[in-house]
Amino acid sequence: MINTDLLKEYFPDVVVNEDYIFVSNNVFEILSFLKSKNYVDFDILSQIIATDYSEFVQLTYSLYSTVNNEFLYIITNVNTEATSVVKLYKSAYFDECEIYDMFGIKFIGNDKLKRLYMPESWKGHPLLKSYSNTDERLVWNND
Amino acid sequence: MTNLLKTMEINLGPQHPSTHGVLRLVLELDGEVIKSCTPIVGYLHRGIEKMAESRSYLQYLPIVDRIDYLGGFFNSYAFCDCIEHIANVEVPEKAQYIRVLCMELNRIASHLLWLGTFMLDLGASSPLFYCFRDRERILHIFEELTGQRMMYNYFTFGGVRWNIPDAILDSISVFVADLPNCIKDYENIITNNPIFISRCKNKGVLSKKTALQYSITGPNLRASGVALDFRKSNPYLVYDKLNFDIAINSECDALARYKVRISELYSSLEIVRQCLDYIRQSNDEVINKTLKPVILNIPDGEYTSSVEAPRGLTSCTVKAGGKNPYRVKWRTGSYYAVQLLPELINNSEIADVMAIFGSLDVILPEVDK
Repeated sequence: MINTDLLKEYFPDVVVNEDYIFVSNNVFEILSFLKSKNYVDFDILSQIIATDYSEFVQLTYSLYSTVNNEFLYIITNVNTEATSVVKLYKSAYFDECEIYDMFGIKFIGNDKLKRLYMPESWKGHPLLKSYSNTDERLVWNND
Repeated sequence: MTNLLKTMEINLGPQHPSTHGVLRLVLELDGEVIKSCTPIVGYLHRGIEKMAESRSYLQYLPIVDRIDYLGGFFNSYAFCDCIEHIANVEVPEKAQYIRVLCMELNRIASHLLWLGTFMLDLGASSPLFYCFRDRERILHIFEELTGQRMMYNYFTFGGVRWNIPDAILDSISVFVADLPNCIKDYENIITNNPIFISRCKNKGVLSKKTALQYSITGPNLRASGVALDFRKSNPYLVYDKLNFDIAINSECDALARYKVRISELYSSLEIVRQCLDYIRQSNDEVINKTLKPVILNIPDGEYTSSVEAPRGLTSCTVKAGGKNPYRVKWRTGSYYAVQLLPELINNSEIADVMAIFGSLDVILPEVDK
């Protein structure tokens, strides 16, 4: 596990757990701090996992360091908007488009945000727990 | 208006024979030179993550093979590993060796298909037939073992469904003895072929920094000089008891990616040989019967497994809660390799697009999920 004292010094409001770090809203700043060479050098953003918990959507940023062979999970809860991290990790672009597509979270700072899988005209965001399929193109499901 | 006349926009795909599935590339061309490229994915989207939420764990298990249908065992293992960790179930050692054996044979089959189609993309049609001939032998072994050629559904929670019969072990031994000569044949016709080299050398150069930025893993990253292999760095199953080398190349181009995959064929064969020795002399159970898949009731929990698949890191995240999974998320290697494509083909000629794209070994069902 990484030495989290320095992280807590810079960002007093992070909650450090055994398996993950919970942050409230400054994901971009924390990720750029973790990516920097003089800290731990988390050079790969392996994936962003979104989960719908009805009241909020939880985003988990899975970081990996090829130098120290270490995974780190940064967790944050969002409602409709989140900060884009494309400027830090280019791999986040598809992840953010997918989360926008499936959960309807808008990523501020991602200029080319679009639906990744579903057509642009699709109504609703399929991976939300409240989603029900009402698209008229799928009427054969009702027969 | 003048800009419009200068460049031309064309669609490559979705129904292009070299796109390995259904991928559309919107290319902006200035003559033969590519000025920009936008990959459009989603044509194969089957909603695999959403399907998990309405199915029990056992009902979802056959579906995961379809995520990357050329490497079904890897997806199966990633999902089973999550469930076994959450339910805290030990897998018998023999079952672990059988899983490694199946996955490494699957990796060879996947790389052989890649080699054949990559050469076909470059315009050489005979390697395809050689590669499919040898891949067919592996699929035949899998068919005898599991009843299926591609969607195996052989791994289950707590082990594998049944033991490997001795006759299949014998046919694997024969195959393992034969394949090195076949790979030498491929190398004789491909590796030093001047046309092949001029199509691949210094094409699609992927620097280490760009590769990490785009979260590239697997053979593509190892061809950029980063020795990252999750079989070595975070050993799962019995990989820490096996001797094998990981192939690294720091030339970063399409040729380097070819060389890395060819060396991986040899190292996979080495692993298969060691697994065969163990499985022959072991009389263990192959499934831990404490976990009953049909009435599976696993505690709430969350786990992310990391598997070194043929196309990079495949990881499965399962958030368990109740009868069905609350959320399943798949991370696959090709998903990130598709994003990288515009970066690699910018300012190259249109004839090189398929050489570069082929060298990344992207498979679209894995991207679209």
